[in-house]
Amino acid sequence: QEKFTLRMAETWGPNFPIFGDTTKRFAENVEKMSNGRLQVRIDSANKHKAPLGVFDMVKAGQYDLGHSASYYWKGKVPETLYFTSMPFGMNAMEQYAWFYHGGGMELMQEVYEPHNMLSFPGGNTGVQMGGWFRKEIKSLDDLKGLKMRIPGFAGEVFAEVGVNPTNIAPGELYTALERNTIDAVEWVGPALDLRLGFQQIADYYYTGWHEPATELQFLVNKKVWEKLPQDLQEIMRIAMRTASYDMLVHSQHENAKAWANIKEEYPNVQIKQFPQDIFQAMYDANKKLLKEAAAGSEIAAKIIESQQNYLEQSRAYTDISERAYLNTMAEVE
Amino acid sequence: MIGIIMFGVALLMLMLGFPVAFTFGGVALFFGIFAEGMDLFAFMPYRIMSVMQNTVLMAVPLFIFMGVVLQRTKLAEQLLSSMGRLFGGLPGGLAISTILVGALLAASTGVVGASVVAMGLISLPVMMAHKYDKRLSTGTICAAGTLGQIVPPSIILIILGDVLGLPVGDLFKAAVWPGVVLIGLYIVYILILTRFKPETAPAMPADPDRSRKQEIVSALLAIIPPLALIVVVLGSIFTGIATPTESAALGGVGAVVLALIYRQFSFQMVWDSARDTVKVTAMVFAILIGATAFSMVFSYTGGDYLLEEWMLQLPGEKWGFIVLAMLVILVLGFFIDFVEISFIIVPILAPIAEALGINMLWFAILIAMNLQTSFLTPPFGFSLFYLKGVAPPQIKTTDIYKGVLPFILLQILVLAMIIIFPGWFGMSSTY
Amino acid sequence: MRWIIKLDEGLGKLSNLCGWIAIVALILMTANVFYDVITRYVFNDVSIGMQEMEWHLYSVVFLFGIPYALRSDGHVRVDVFYNNWGQKARAWVNLVGALLFVIPFAYLIGTYGYSFAIDAYQMGEGSGDPGGLPHRWIIKAVIPLTAIFTATAGLGMATFALRVLSGEKQYEEGHGGEGLA
Ligand code: NA
Ligand code: NA
Repeated sequence: QEKFTLRMAETWGPNFPIFGDTTKRFAENVEKMSNGRLQVRIDSANKHKAPLGVFDMVKAGQYDLGHSASYYWKGKVPETLYFTSMPFGMNAMEQYAWFYHGGGMELMQEVYEPHNMLSFPGGNTGVQMGGWFRKEIKSLDDLKGLKMRIPGFAGEVFAEVGVNPTNIAPGELYTALERNTIDAVEWVGPALDLRLGFQQIADYYYTGWHEPATELQFLVNKKVWEKLPQDLQEIMRIAMRTASYDMLVHSQHENAKAWANIKEEYPNVQIKQFPQDIFQAMYDANKKLLKEAAAGSEIAAKIIESQQNYLEQSRAYTDISERAYLNTMAEVE
Repeated sequence: MIGIIMFGVALLMLMLGFPVAFTFGGVALFFGIFAEGMDLFAFMPYRIMSVMQNTVLMAVPLFIFMGVVLQRTKLAEQLLSSMGRLFGGLPGGLAISTILVGALLAASTGVVGASVVAMGLISLPVMMAHKYDKRLSTGTICAAGTLGQIVPPSIILIILGDVLGLPVGDLFKAAVWPGVVLIGLYIVYILILTRFKPETAPAMPADPDRSRKQEIVSALLAIIPPLALIVVVLGSIFTGIATPTESAALGGVGAVVLALIYRQFSFQMVWDSARDTVKVTAMVFAILIGATAFSMVFSYTGGDYLLEEWMLQLPGEKWGFIVLAMLVILVLGFFIDFVEISFIIVPILAPIAEALGINMLWFAILIAMNLQTSFLTPPFGFSLFYLKGVAPPQIKTTDIYKGVLPFILLQILVLAMIIIFPGWFGMSSTY
Repeated sequence: MRWIIKLDEGLGKLSNLCGWIAIVALILMTANVFYDVITRYVFNDVSIGMQEMEWHLYSVVFLFGIPYALRSDGHVRVDVFYNNWGQKARAWVNLVGALLFVIPFAYLIGTYGYSFAIDAYQMGEGSGDPGGLPHRWIIKAVIPLTAIFTATAGLGMATFALRVLSGEKQYEEGHGGEGLA
């Protein structure tokens, strides 16, 4: 039987925790399930040197597979933005339901098809934290003129309420925050933030709103996919789906562990939530930006509508299940 | 295996004297096409793009510009020779001043290309004018310019923090004492050398018409303006006004302002400084691009897997592991870029070290110290090429190769001290 | 021989044009970074577009600088033997090196860089960050563009070597980039 070796470029550095474990598990599973007929060789960012070139490299066929996040391609193909996570959007459970049962996958394929690629969910971080702040944010005024490292669409929402999104090279982020060159940094969540040491220099750790369910993605070059026999395609499909689920669970595990560590070793760190007026302003800003995006692109309008309808229906049920349960727990504890 | 042969061939080709950058690129080209075909080079635009978007490297042209302006306006000379004069009849004053200025630059940036070239521009002409030994001068400058790697903020520590999962702040703190000790040893070495061989570093001639006191006062007065510039640059970083990279631009603008104050300013001067800066910057980045082509061919022909296999052969006992790991990194550092080592080798060593109960912070500092040495080791030490690129023609590559040797030995000495007496540096080798 | 001299002089002018572009970009870049620091610190204002302009200019500096430095012999060499050799031997090293290393290397970067830039153009790629710069293809196109100039500078290196071989020109001792310090 014919053997296949596929080369995968990932956006992450070698041994990047959680994200990198996801691709490694995927490669292992594929090999085991196919009895060695399908092998995946992973090249990390240190090898291809193009963390944000994964899209182009898979498109051009320089790599067969990619592992990245869809919203990184917003500057190239604006509609890719919606397949990672949206401010005030669905949580991980709701979003997976949308992808697999609510038409999300079909919409994602529609966006990636013209670029000669297939895209599949590739693992979720869960709710991302809202960022590290050096000063407490008590009102909308405190946000005005605040210099924050926050890229992408969330940065645009923040900009709408007066924040100054600022670019800082990742290597200088720590120093920049420590010395007040910037006032705040948005990164991921406890497990990954801990490595950068922000807990040593910023006291206020804000809860998230902007990326409630950051989904990574597998990219597959279409020609490569079509060359695979059907059983190997199925093995890939299942391995990708398992990898996504594994990453969500792994994120929960590592974040909980890291958070326990921060609580114990850095008593200076306080968890904060933005006050209501800020959330309301950002909620409105988000709505306005989505409206503009929908007006500018037919397919964006279709995706936004699908997501909003799905969120409404799904959230109504989340409210009487998960939320009701957590509320109950809060009362007895 | 192709990777290893390629290193050998590159070494031979370099000796022919064709520009280093294009020798790397050209050798990579032949081996790459031979082993993988033309399409391997479709990765090159991405690699060039990653250099373009690496904004930390912006410090290179900016610091060089500052250095060139200070040199053209003679302010650098004034700073160094006045500092040298403060040492009175003591030989080696200029060399010690160079180390001190290098330490200041190191505390403001972690970009070696920037500080080696800037130091080369600032102090090499002054040392040459005062009849310093070529080897002592070039060795001092390379060593002083490379201090930026271990003295925080430092790129290598940030990368190691990422690879090893250690907070950057802890690493920066842990690196302070090793950095200070290294600087101290450099100075002690120069003092001892010049005591026995004063002709290698003649003392600055005293002005017979002035008393020692007058001399000190006038020297201090002369130091103030250029030193103020350095303080502005450093101050802007420490107060957070600018990131380390941006501070380099403040330095460049500041140098032009100083020139204005000293009536040295002209548009021609700025244009000529910019032209020199472009030339030197292009030299540095051409090497980076040539080297990235080289490392691309090395890793895509399986060189990284080969290294991985070697690493897994290291012994499983603490001291044997430490010593051999350090030796391997040192030898690899002769040939391979420190970023490659951090990303390929360190992730393999880390779990072994962890299993042996080794304190990862200490281990990280050992690696950083070791990788700093790789900038200085012939034949491929980047600092050596950078200095050669700005040195006058009477200074030969071999002068630089020989000049850095004592400083390499000093670095190995400090490395050994940290290994054997971690307590002296406020660390421990185990948890 | 006459046409080689003509060609060589033309190629030299092309490389000097690259140098001129790089010098202007360097001055603009220094001013750009300075401006960004001041507006952020004094006026508490940040423009991601201006921040991105920094690396655009910085890329222009070194990419256009490379062909310029090639013409003015600013690229560092290992001179263990080179400096002891005569004019003819050096000319041969430069002639062969230019034809075998510089031109093919630049050619490959140019070819692949061209599709790299075209792809960005066709997708209308821009910055994904708030207030970032549009038209990413422009800066990406600098890669193939400067690759062409590097190739012509390589050709210039070869024509100059031919002039030296014919005895009409000489390499200066420690000319160009060397000896800045
Ligand atoms: Na440093
Ligand atoms: Na080296």
